[in-house]
Amino acid sequence: MIKFINVAKTYPNGVEALKNVNLEIKDGEFVAIIGLSGAGKSTLLRLINKMIESTGGQIFIDDVEVSSLTGVKLRMLRRNIGMIFQSFNLVKRTSVYNNVLAGRVAYHSTFKTIFGLFPKEDKLIALEAIETLGILDKAFIRADQLSGGQQQRVALARALAQKPKIILADEPVASLDPITTIYVMDDFKRINRDFGITVVANMHHVDLALKYATRIIGIKAGEIVYDGPADKVSDDMLVHIYGRSLKSDELLGDIDEAI
Amino acid sequence: MKQFNLPSGAVIKKPFNKIWIVLGTLLVLVLFFSLFIFSRRPFFNLSVLGEILVKMFTPRQYQNWGDYFGYMLTLRGPLVETLSMAFGGTIIGSIIAIPVAVLSAKNITKIKWIRIPVRTFLNLYRTIPVMLLAILAVYLVGIGVLPGLMAITGFSFGIMAKMLFEIIETVDMSPYEALESTGATKTQAFVRAILPQVFPVYISYLIYIFEINVRASAIFGYFGAGGLGTVIVESAGQYYERVGATVILMLGVVLIIQFISNYARGKLQ
Repeated sequence: MIKFINVAKTYPNGVEALKNVNLEIKDGEFVAIIGLSGAGKSTLLRLINKMIESTGGQIFIDDVEVSSLTGVKLRMLRRNIGMIFQSFNLVKRTSVYNNVLAGRVAYHSTFKTIFGLFPKEDKLIALEAIETLGILDKAFIRADQLSGGQQQRVALARALAQKPKIILADEPVASLDPITTIYVMDDFKRINRDFGITVVANMHHVDLALKYATRIIGIKAGEIVYDGPADKVSDDMLVHIYGRSLKSDELLGDIDEAI
Repeated sequence: MKQFNLPSGAVIKKPFNKIWIVLGTLLVLVLFFSLFIFSRRPFFNLSVLGEILVKMFTPRQYQNWGDYFGYMLTLRGPLVETLSMAFGGTIIGSIIAIPVAVLSAKNITKIKWIRIPVRTFLNLYRTIPVMLLAILAVYLVGIGVLPGLMAITGFSFGIMAKMLFEIIETVDMSPYEALESTGATKTQAFVRAILPQVFPVYISYLIYIFEINVRASAIFGYFGAGGLGTVIVESAGQYYERVGATVILMLGVVLIIQFISNYARGKLQ
């Protein structure tokens, strides 16, 4: 469970990214956060695993207050939270397997990691994660040899290898083509359903968010203006969240036709 | 500053290109220094140069080409000395360079009062001429391969630390962020996300520095650092053909190393 109580974030340059945010996300939910760029979507996501520090309020994950955590305790928290990035954030010149194995390092001492000593079960966890994403035949190929969609799958496998309870995804499909986008979103859906992992994703394409997520959080200028089921989001509400009608690049287009 | 007036009435100014300042400064410096070089009439004596070259690259009187090239075979010992001090020095210097480079890299060492002193030390250290390192080493431990090894270690450390911290500063930091998000320590994130990017370039520079060091070790021979350099110093002025044979041997070795190093560095990209 993720819980925000009166959370605020003001950046050192004075930008108020989030104001008085309250929300509660239950285990196993698939939540999409939508809103204009600059509305505070990334900030909200990164506060959850303290990649950014809040400047007000409290954030709880399973009754643990996040903003006061440091050092080992913070790392133990992050270990249970996978993170997916728009630009994949892989080590491009190393193999898929090594990239996924990186999801296991937080389970071991720094000393062991330096010498690349991973127990056999970790190697199997990594390979199983790669298999789950359907790219086992690519396991020992350099990451930069793969297509964008495949690279994002590697990133997903790395997150899965952490054996996380939550996966945070920051614009996971924004740099992918429409067809690959569908495949990667299907992977998210499957991981959410089969492993019961909570997924919180920032989405640029609104129609995609409505199709895949069970719950939508709409942010406007750092405040939550909609929080409810995906099928209850009306066109008027979207206009309210975006302050205008949607632009064509904010829609993926006919999803079923894209496949 | 150049101004463009577009048909639409819009006006845009092209900013001044700073490259002209750099080029202008260079030109002034070239003119300034050339005053000092050409102010005196140069003293060239081509006939002496020719004489020495002939002495160097032909057998001595009453000797034949068999003797000339046979002498090269007797240089195996000094050759192994040169190669081993160049190799050993490159490896040791490059390893010591790693922590210093990490501590100097802006994107890894965020704490200023660690980074700035380390970087200042590195910059000061690099102002020490390599010759001075060699002379100091000979004073410290006497004549032989050991001072050569020490001088080359010091020299390799200086170049490698500088090059390595610049490589580290240009790596893609996004996997580092990803590793931190998995709960990895900073060291773990560095080892898993930064090192794989840096390692091939590091090895490539290491081979290149080795190549430089084989040549540099000949110069260190002047200060009694052993190897082929010492052979050249001891023969110069008297046995020109020995100097010539040694130089040919060194050229051959450097050429082979260059060939191998180009091949290996190509493979690493």
